[in-house]
Amino acid sequence: MTFNLTLSGADLLLLAPEIFLTVWLCVVLAVDCARQQIKHETLAYLSMGGVVAALIMLIGFDYADVHGALLNDTFVLDGVAIFFKIFILLATALVLLISIEYVRSFRFFRGEYYFLVVMSALGMMFMASAQDLLSVFVTLEFSTFGFYVLVAYLREDRKSNEAGLKFFILGVFAAGLLAYGISLVYGETGTLVFSEMTGMPGSYGLAIGFIMIFAALGFKLGAVPFHSWIPDTYQGAPTPVTAFLSIAPKGAAMAILIRMFYVALATFKPMWVLLFVVASIVSMTYGNIVAIAQKNIKRLLAYSGIAQIGNVMIGLAAGTKRGTDAILFYLLTYLFANLGAFAVVVGVSRRIHSDEIEDYNGLNRRSPFLAAAMLLFLLSLAGVPPLAGFIGKLYIFVAAIQQELYTLLIVGLVNIVISMYYYLIVVKKMYINEPADPTPLTVSTPLKTAIVISIAGTLLLGLYPGPFINWAVDAGLMFSNAATMAGDVSVPIAPAGG
Amino acid sequence: MLEELHAGFPLLSILLFLPLVGAAALWPMKDAALMKRCALGVACLELALSVVLALWFVPGSAAMQFSEQLSWIPALGISYHLAVDGISILFVPLSAFITVLVVVSSWNIGEGVKPYMMSLLALETTIMGIFVSIDLILFFVFWELMLVPGYFLIKLWGVGERRDDAALKYVLYTLLGSVFMLVGFALLSLHHHDVTQAYSFDLLELMAVPVPVGDQLLIFWLIFMGLAFKAPVFPFHSWLPDALVQGPIGMSVILAGVKLGTYGFLRLSFPLLPDASTHDAVVMIMTGLALAAILWGALVALMQSDFRRLLVFSSISHLGFVVLGLFAMNFQGLQGGLLHMINLGVTAAGLFFLAGFLHDRLGHTLVEQCGGLAAKAPALATFLLIIGMASIGLPGTNGFVGEFLILLGAFQAHWFYGVVGVSGVIFAAAYFLWYYERAMFGPLGGTVPRMLQDLHWRESGIAVALCVVIFWIGLYPSPLLRMMNASVQEVADRLSRGTVARMAHDRMALSDAADRAPAGRGD
Repeated sequence: MTFNLTLSGADLLLLAPEIFLTVWLCVVLAVDCARQQIKHETLAYLSMGGVVAALIMLIGFDYADVHGALLNDTFVLDGVAIFFKIFILLATALVLLISIEYVRSFRFFRGEYYFLVVMSALGMMFMASAQDLLSVFVTLEFSTFGFYVLVAYLREDRKSNEAGLKFFILGVFAAGLLAYGISLVYGETGTLVFSEMTGMPGSYGLAIGFIMIFAALGFKLGAVPFHSWIPDTYQGAPTPVTAFLSIAPKGAAMAILIRMFYVALATFKPMWVLLFVVASIVSMTYGNIVAIAQKNIKRLLAYSGIAQIGNVMIGLAAGTKRGTDAILFYLLTYLFANLGAFAVVVGVSRRIHSDEIEDYNGLNRRSPFLAAAMLLFLLSLAGVPPLAGFIGKLYIFVAAIQQELYTLLIVGLVNIVISMYYYLIVVKKMYINEPADPTPLTVSTPLKTAIVISIAGTLLLGLYPGPFINWAVDAGLMFSNAATMAGDVSVPIAPAGG
Repeated sequence: MLEELHAGFPLLSILLFLPLVGAAALWPMKDAALMKRCALGVACLELALSVVLALWFVPGSAAMQFSEQLSWIPALGISYHLAVDGISILFVPLSAFITVLVVVSSWNIGEGVKPYMMSLLALETTIMGIFVSIDLILFFVFWELMLVPGYFLIKLWGVGERRDDAALKYVLYTLLGSVFMLVGFALLSLHHHDVTQAYSFDLLELMAVPVPVGDQLLIFWLIFMGLAFKAPVFPFHSWLPDALVQGPIGMSVILAGVKLGTYGFLRLSFPLLPDASTHDAVVMIMTGLALAAILWGALVALMQSDFRRLLVFSSISHLGFVVLGLFAMNFQGLQGGLLHMINLGVTAAGLFFLAGFLHDRLGHTLVEQCGGLAAKAPALATFLLIIGMASIGLPGTNGFVGEFLILLGAFQAHWFYGVVGVSGVIFAAAYFLWYYERAMFGPLGGTVPRMLQDLHWRESGIAVALCVVIFWIGLYPSPLLRMMNASVQEVADRLSRGTVARMAHDRMALSDAADRAPAGRGD
């Protein structure tokens, strides 16, 4: 294996968003140091400017079909990478908007908050481009690094400290698993690049190695049984960080998972399909059932997130091009609904200093806007038509039906009904119960903007999903050979009639 | 494929979204009286438009009329496709009519006029959507969306103690059924893809592609789950007593009056899955369920002391009649079933209105504590008798025409079905008249206030409007029948022709198998 590390100007273009964001980060940090009296809003908007600029750059790349690989194929910019980068930056921009009001509550404002958020985003952008195991490891750790600090950001709050510690210990453990898994895979195949692993003979070492890597990524995704850090960390972390944690790393990890399983392990499809069927069933069922008993809205959303990841994995279990299309689109719908729900949580908790679901009693009386927004987001998460979540679920279930995964399908459908139950409990508290304290709640402009954007996204993806589905389909074009992979032939929908 | 007549301008879209726009327009309003007037105005305009639609409808044609089509999600073959035919046309003015009456009857709702009227109008949009959608996903969207305003209506304005549970049960049960229905739709679409290489959820396109019988049976039962919970067909009805008794009168009227579930059989199951629908086992099971519903509902209704609960079980029993008619699988049965759905929209809704009026006066509808009401409130007693007689099926009222056609169809199918059906009619007379006698005549009941007010003008208006429709359909049903006949004939033909398509298909499959013995049916 020879390494060729010369870079041309054209190569650098592929890295342009990342390079730009790195420079911009340094500027943000420098400005914060140089001008002690700077208002934190200014820093927030400055960071957001960089994120939006990178976002526009990437959208431009998508239009111009700028594709390529560099650094010895360790960094690749293709449709999937661009999709997930846009996804991550969109989430980052919304999280920055949500943060502005929340950050005011920090006793000593420290400018590195915004720096750390954008830095994590940068790490995840690299994750979206990783297509060999070494860059998987490096980028994954890079992105997690910022989160370690962010989760424990409320220094005075014991819950936040506990969350930080739990996240750190389990995160490091996952990193250890990942490194060990990578070493096993390298030992068996002699390569780290996904595309070179295609068609390798199977062996126990390879299987154990990949299961370990899957476990490490499952930790990022929050899939059962790697979910144990999620509820406490979500509850303890500052809410905007929770929001960020609940969406962006899931997208980035999903990018790696798709690449790994669709490319490196294409020939072992029948085996990993089973893995994902089981993981999906367990995640959906566990997440939804435990969510019913939750008293804290952040924990409720944490468990609902575990269940949603179970839904996403249905797409992986289908293992087809349609599966990846469905995953990409589903994640987009989840982005808006989930971030929107967390934005409402921020808006409420900033005023009443509580995340207990009890305290959402009569929210409709106190702020009809927040209550209506929450209703919309919860209904979208539950998959009520014609909101975004419905189209996402429809798409993903169609992918499963096509592969005749009927068990998975029935479990998924029953889970929709279960999830409706606990979402409706929150709705009931907001609309039916009397508020303990009827004073109206006000919502700050940046937060309102974030919520309005999320509402617009949720409605748009539901009512006019065509262009977004096309985007997801085009992004995943590289997987279109997936339909012809081993063990996958198009068959009539039921045995009868032939 | 059926012929389609395109509309000059989007009348159906206007009908569909007018109530929603009306609901949105209520949002900024502050004055309760203004809100009520606006809601009534929107509902009346909707009714007027739907009457225009019915007048412009070309009777005697099986074509899909007023068709509008826009692409929505091309990747999955989902489109915004609206149209009405003889099966759905009558439901549109009926739903608009019921909504107007509900708005009028809710005039003194008290607190929360704005969310109530908004929910009601939103509900009207979703119901219209169900009746005018030709695309299955669009249909499903409205089918599910209906639960949201329904949930709020039951939960916020319910009159019972356990309205919380009732609302939740209503949503979860219906959702449970409809997710299976969605799978059925997806299977249909995937089959369409296997044959034509294109996904489609369009009813007309799906009808053009015959589905193998085995698949049809699976899809039939999946769709059945959704329809049975919504209808509700016995024994999937356990949410209904709660929702109808605990919920507000307006919601009970709509749930009892607008027969969405059984409409689904005529709209979806029969045209799409003719072989499964006429399959012996399916017909046996469905007819069995229908007969069980007729008898069981009537017997349980006989035992009820609460008028609203009595009406719930009477409505289950009547729904049994509808299913019996539909699965008689002949023209009279289908026609009777369809007409009976419309009739129930008038009579069941009317009885629930009257139960609501009683409830407003007494605070309950228990028979033991009533008695002698006829002397105190003669108008109420009179209207209750008229609408009740229509519900039993007295000749001259609308109920007679529908039940007569159903029984005619049932006797043609098998004498036994007809006999059991007739006994249901007798039971219906028994439970209604028995209740009527105990509540209206005899000595004055314990809780009946001395100064019982008779129906005031708004309530009388509602009752008169209902009676007009009852006698109109009862005495001169032919315009309505003419509107539905061609489409019903089309469905009946399709049900009997389905077997031919199946035979052709089987022949093809056989020769296919002979041609390439080792290979399966690929694409």
